[in-house]
Amino acid sequence: MLRRRLNLLGRAVCDMLATLDPEADRIVLHASRHGDGERTLEMLYGLNEGEPLSPARFGLSVHNATAGVYSIASGNRRSQQAIAASGGEWAALIAEASGYLADGQPSLLLVFGDQPVPQRFAAYAPASLSAAVALRVGSQPTEGARRLVETMTPAGGTTLQPLDVIDWLMGSHQRIACPISQRGWQLESLRS
Amino acid sequence: MTTTALEHELKQMIIETLELEDVTPDDIDPEEPLFVEGLGLDSIDALELGLALQKRYGITLESEAESSRQHFANLKSLAALVESRRQK
Repeated sequence: MLRRRLNLLGRAVCDMLATLDPEADRIVLHASRHGDGERTLEMLYGLNEGEPLSPARFGLSVHNATAGVYSIASGNRRSQQAIAASGGEWAALIAEASGYLADGQPSLLLVFGDQPVPQRFAAYAPASLSAAVALRVGSQPTEGARRLVETMTPAGGTTLQPLDVIDWLMGSHQRIACPISQRGWQLESLRS
Repeated sequence: MTTTALEHELKQMIIETLELEDVTPDDIDPEEPLFVEGLGLDSIDALELGLALQKRYGITLESEAESSRQHFANLKSLAALVESRRQK
């Protein structure tokens, strides 16, 4: 019943989280640079016309909306974080995840998702396609897992988006970098 | 009993307003609870329905919880509310 409140991207995120954590018992870190800008802007237009706000849409205009709906629908009561980091979302996700793992969490869920900014603001942000990626990370080696290795990289270059992370995970390139955070990552086999 | 025209109109309004993708008017039993059980709506849906009633019929609901609970109990009680209080 709750799915109806989410857009296509939010539904994809819920499906991925359910696959990665069927017991719905892991902490969720959810990063998105822009969130659902379209919905927020529509509400602002409505307010400007003096129209009453839709409670459901207002409730979903917050940055943690997708994670919130997921937690209600799945019954996951663990901590959640919603992150926006001006283009440094992936680096922020990894930094937060490292903190939780160092703190003793054995395993947690990461989500990085974004969609195009509304046309009105398109000139102020890099073009982005709707995409989301979800990962399960842990502090212990498990079957089929790979080790994430972080390195320093020089600043400069384009902003890292969800689609870049998907391409990297699918093996199209060995490393990804988040120039604004001056960090790069690669995956290594656990046996090496 | 047969479903009145107003009840059918309200069913359509509920489905459209709350974006109930997989529900048809025939799925809504006029005497079944709308909230929690039955149709399974929640408190955000109640606010959304309140807004729709205001827009379409000019009905402003008092914030007193008990009377709202009665009006929103099922489709029949909702139709009775609209029948008696509609401004348009």
